[in-house]
Amino acid sequence: MTATAAEIPVHCLPIGVDWRPSPAVETKAPQSDHELMLAVRDGDLDCMGELFERHHGPLFGYLAKLTGNRTAAEDIAQVVFQRMLKYRHTYRDQGSFTAWMYHLARRCASDHFRKSAPAPISVDPSELEHHADESRGADESAASRDDHAVLQRALGRLDRDDREVLLLSRLQELSFAEVAGILECSVGAARVRAHRAMRALRDHYFRIQKEPLT
Amino acid sequence: MNCQSCLDRMAELADEKLDAQTAASMREHIAGCPGCRREFDSLRRTLAALDALPSVAPSHRLRARVMGDIETEKLTLRRHSGWATAIREAAAPRPRRRHPWATLLLQSLGACALVALGFTVGERAATQRQLAELRTKVDTMGQLFEQSVLQKRATGDRLETVLTAATASKPDERVIDGLINSMAFDTSVNVRLNALNALYLHADQDVVRASVLACLPRESNPLVQVAMIDFLVAAREHGAAPELRKLAANDQADADVRESARRALDQL
Repeated sequence: MTATAAEIPVHCLPIGVDWRPSPAVETKAPQSDHELMLAVRDGDLDCMGELFERHHGPLFGYLAKLTGNRTAAEDIAQVVFQRMLKYRHTYRDQGSFTAWMYHLARRCASDHFRKSAPAPISVDPSELEHHADESRGADESAASRDDHAVLQRALGRLDRDDREVLLLSRLQELSFAEVAGILECSVGAARVRAHRAMRALRDHYFRIQKEPLT
Repeated sequence: MNCQSCLDRMAELADEKLDAQTAASMREHIAGCPGCRREFDSLRRTLAALDALPSVAPSHRLRARVMGDIETEKLTLRRHSGWATAIREAAAPRPRRRHPWATLLLQSLGACALVALGFTVGERAATQRQLAELRTKVDTMGQLFEQSVLQKRATGDRLETVLTAATASKPDERVIDGLINSMAFDTSVNVRLNALNALYLHADQDVVRASVLACLPRESNPLVQVAMIDFLVAAREHGAAPELRKLAANDQADADVRESARRALDQL
């Protein structure tokens, strides 16, 4: 028994399928997200793992800021990837994978907010700080008026729609046209909404900075 | 450029997403308009603060859960394609056979009767064989289905399945595969640990030792990692040495895991 771990791929085996490493395992040239998703659509589900590795970080970051809750963000991120698998046949040849992913993420987040409607969105400053950075105490952050904490509080005070358009517009991977597509509105309308949200954030941000310490 | 059109595109200007001509036009306007300059400066500061927010990383659970979903979907896909193949085979028209005795059929009524009888009997036997094959395929698909829905069942049920498999008097290949899958992919630490414990009885099998070794670098829970290391030592798996060395030297790994890896290297 001399095989090393790296040489032995682990698959969830169906009964009766040969467990031994497949000779088909070979180094492939890096593929674009679009090519990987087309492969997933055509039945090569292993490519979804690569897409997960590439995108789960930014997606989770977006959802964490949107919900103000890490656990909810993880749950929603999982549902997004589940839906990618489920609706892979709807992925279009000319599509942008990132725009499609955030389109699904928006739907999943909406479902989450609808289901958890009785629970208010995190607007308590100390709670937001806790979600934003669990490694430091909320009180400590509030007392030090840490810039990140102030901004998290400002984000938490935005309407959900404003927070959504603002966070989407800040994603480097998305053009405004794609943001508009995700929001299902015109590019002009998306720009106006994003700008309104930025101004609202700015107003909250500077107002919180002037608030007396509690 | 007026104030309104300048305001509408300020964020893009801050992000340098505008073409050179529009950007230059806006900057010219902002330089001469105190209101827009204030607006632009405050927006830029806010956006800079927003972009500087530390990115939070998800826990390892997310990866385990999504990878589990992918594996389950792969199983479902195989199940569907298996069904499709079985159904296609069952539904496909039987290829017409060219009977060399066709001429005789025309020439002799007696021969025709014999050939017709032989053909009928052959056809019936073929149909029965096909049905038997189909039943076998259906059985296999049923087992696959059982496996694929395993993750969707409650943790207690999955644990019970693993414990039952562990006490099977004569576990076959299917049971061992199931235990390996549970150890590798179950989302519950408890289920993974019990599956690993159940595999001790089969540590003499190469596939079992290789599976544990392959799962070790993918495992995120220190408890299970330590249990896997103990398993590899108990099984005298010398092929584990390179992986153990990596773990022992990995500063990101849990301290107990590193210590276990060092101890295991000494023992091996």
